[in-house]
Amino acid sequence: MRTRFTLSLLIAAALILAACAPTPPTTPSPEAPPSTEAPAITEAPSVATEAPQPSAEPSVLRIGWAGSPDTLNPGTGLLSESYTIYGLVYDTMYQYELDGTYSLRLAKSVDVSDDGLVWTFTLRDGLKFHDGTPLTAEDVVFSYQLYQVTEDFPYMPGYTTYFESIEAKSPSEVVITLSEAIPNMEASLIYLFVLPKHIWEKVENLAEFENLEMIGSGPFKLADYQQNEFVRLEAVKDHFYQPKVDQIVFQTFENQDALVQAIRTGQVDMITEMPNTVVETLRQAENVAVVTGVPLAPDIADIIINQADPATCPVDEGGVCSGNPALRELKFRQALAHATNKQKIIEVVLLGLGDPGLTLVANSLTQFYNDQLQDYTYDPALANQMLDEAGFPDSDGDGVRELPDGTPINLRLNYPSDSTTAPRTAELLKEMWAEIGVNLEIQPLDPDTLSSVCCPAFDYDILIWGWGSDPDPGFMLSVHLTDEIPTGLSETGYSNPEFDELYVQQSTERDPQKRREIIFKMQEILLRDVVYIVPFYAKAVQAYRTDTFTGWITDAPKLSLEDVSSLVRVEPIK
Amino acid sequence: MPVKPNSPEAVLKRYRYLAKKVGWALFTILFVIVLNFFLFRILPGDPARAGIRDPRLTRQAVEAIRVRFGLDKPVINCFESLNPVKFGACTVNPLDTQFFIYAANLLRGEMGISYHSNRPVSSLLVERLWNTLLLIGAGQILAILLGIALGVVAAWKARTPVDYAALIFSLFAWSLPTFWLGIVLLFWGSAVGLPVGGKATPGLSFLPASEQALDIARHMILPTLTYTIVFLGEYMLVMRSSLLDVLSEDYILTAKAKGLSTFQILKDHALKNAMLPMVTIIAINLGFTVAGALQIETVFSWPGLGGAIYEAVGRRDFPVLQGAFLMIAVSVIFANLFADLLYSYLDPRVQTD
Repeated sequence: MRTRFTLSLLIAAALILAACAPTPPTTPSPEAPPSTEAPAITEAPSVATEAPQPSAEPSVLRIGWAGSPDTLNPGTGLLSESYTIYGLVYDTMYQYELDGTYSLRLAKSVDVSDDGLVWTFTLRDGLKFHDGTPLTAEDVVFSYQLYQVTEDFPYMPGYTTYFESIEAKSPSEVVITLSEAIPNMEASLIYLFVLPKHIWEKVENLAEFENLEMIGSGPFKLADYQQNEFVRLEAVKDHFYQPKVDQIVFQTFENQDALVQAIRTGQVDMITEMPNTVVETLRQAENVAVVTGVPLAPDIADIIINQADPATCPVDEGGVCSGNPALRELKFRQALAHATNKQKIIEVVLLGLGDPGLTLVANSLTQFYNDQLQDYTYDPALANQMLDEAGFPDSDGDGVRELPDGTPINLRLNYPSDSTTAPRTAELLKEMWAEIGVNLEIQPLDPDTLSSVCCPAFDYDILIWGWGSDPDPGFMLSVHLTDEIPTGLSETGYSNPEFDELYVQQSTERDPQKRREIIFKMQEILLRDVVYIVPFYAKAVQAYRTDTFTGWITDAPKLSLEDVSSLVRVEPIK
Repeated sequence: MPVKPNSPEAVLKRYRYLAKKVGWALFTILFVIVLNFFLFRILPGDPARAGIRDPRLTRQAVEAIRVRFGLDKPVINCFESLNPVKFGACTVNPLDTQFFIYAANLLRGEMGISYHSNRPVSSLLVERLWNTLLLIGAGQILAILLGIALGVVAAWKARTPVDYAALIFSLFAWSLPTFWLGIVLLFWGSAVGLPVGGKATPGLSFLPASEQALDIARHMILPTLTYTIVFLGEYMLVMRSSLLDVLSEDYILTAKAKGLSTFQILKDHALKNAMLPMVTIIAINLGFTVAGALQIETVFSWPGLGGAIYEAVGRRDFPVLQGAFLMIAVSVIFANLFADLLYSYLDPRVQTD
């Protein structure tokens, strides 16, 4: 069984302004099904999708995964598995592609006013829901307004914060007027699933609505669902994404050995995850291809360093600020970075299936990730020298350095007790940092207790924890802001006016190239100041059968075989 | 002077015994209902945060979740929360506290809404309960039948190679770690083409019922086999030693002296008495059966009650936990009650105690 720290790949992106220019791609990316070829299905009546073809055996693509959607209601869903299903059954205005770009999905064109405030989307022709009702601008407006006002939906209102008005100018034209010209408009539209108004307007209790019919407009429609067992989808052949298979079944395996065994024996055609320990053996299996790559939505592991200053401690919010004073010294943190052997952590903890990390802006953010930065080399001798110079001597020769006042440097290290990677990372850190005379006292904590010592209490020294990231870097950058120290979003207590200023700049910069440069600069600052030590970016590990289906997207910058872009291209091997 | 079985005194005694046992059972259930509520509130962890372990949830969103599930109300008069202990006003309307809302819901037969899936707990648990009963029911019946048979054979052939072989096998089976045996069987089973997980092949709903049943049966083979092997040993060992005890009694010797065949001795004289300890362990095991075999359900992805409990603990999904624990407690209590009553039938001496 799997416990994950970050449950969803969601958002909050709209909470924070981030900037990418309002120039959505006019041509679809290579991963997207060519929208130009999508027939405007006016002459093809929907009977083809209603009745199963009697002639041939339907092609059923079976996917094994360890999770299961928590709910079919897109408003209340939290798990990433839920979002995978929503993305197949519902359409959104934009699709987030595997190369990190956004392509238009429901709309065939978009027009943005010069001030960036008025967005006019023209919908594709012939759109309809799975029950045959046409999808019009009214449905889009209804859905967005629903998400905006329903406070029982945990994430959705956050995407629509800057929507001042949403109107249907004609049955095919949606006009969104923003209160501020946000640079990440596309990112806020990728999870706003368009719901059929004629069904949802009758729902009384939105939070408890189970949505078991799940009528959407996407390339697949729900056929059968048993929570924690399986989700069966049927292809909608006249959808503009033109799915090739007839059915997709997602089957839940609570035991990862069973998952691996299922693909070896051909009981499933693809698995979305596996323990790193089986990768080598599975590579030897017949007719199975194992693929690894940068995940679509990463779980970033990070080592959090308490830099909260007792002088500015958010006492009113429960701040304790008991971090070791050495951690507030830049030289000390840089020495810790030099003493951290990321390569070894990757080899031991991930069995090599990861890339060394730099900052919270992970490599899966593709164009926003600054890969030119020079990381701290692993060099304990240099680290020792730096600590000597910075005034942290080991005067009594017991192997543990002391603060200037003579107190030995014993740091508390906590991590969530449900983490699978943190215990070994902690052991390795203890070993590595002992070499430079920094002693760690390891204590795993219940995740909830960890929250309470973390922030805004700042009652810890070092934590190993993690983040799930949005496609837009705005949110990940915001956790380093001075303003977020009292809110509990800042985990480190880091405060840097220069960084704060750059953050404001990038959140209003609508030129994508300029915004990127600002964001690159911000990453440079974060790495220089060692706000976090990011040991690794774990790779996604997936596998598929080579003898049943073909067309999996494995060469894109990011890997997600269960993403809609991959699943509409896959077809059975004749 | 012995009381005649059907005399008024004996009937009265039997009813009084019955009433006492049922009364205790009801009292225990009531106790469990109260304990169930406070037990989970004493656990550390805020359900509104633990269920959704996403730090990016805004405060407003967390607050909305708390209001939706009534977690903003005091736990009970004088206590805002139990962990950490926070005292509150004692004058609040009791009907506006979490405890009384919980109790009132139970009286109406409602167990609340799952924090995690937003589904009513009762329908969620009943669905899981049937799956568990199907799997564990089959496993228990097989284990009991085979266990008794093996135990009888071993006791009958006591201190022969047959006995030793059965004994060693049972001890070995009993001490096997369940999950380990499950994984070994999973690897073996997948090699011979058996399904490795789930209750049924998804998407066969268009097939006739008989073929669907066959499909479920195929999925049940491995988990049932695991369950049978693990539980068989216990039944065999108890049956064997109990029967050996009985076989050393004088009346068995008398029966032998009368020239009865071994089969007749076992069937008419020994088995009924030797079954008494078996009834106890079967009844208790059946009660716990409802809790599911968590490990087996996990290894074979069987959508049963054990898995539901495991998931709910991690998510602090109190309504599901309360419902599941209540279900288990009630079934254990009733299984025990049933064993008590069966005892008084099997062994009339019991009720005179």
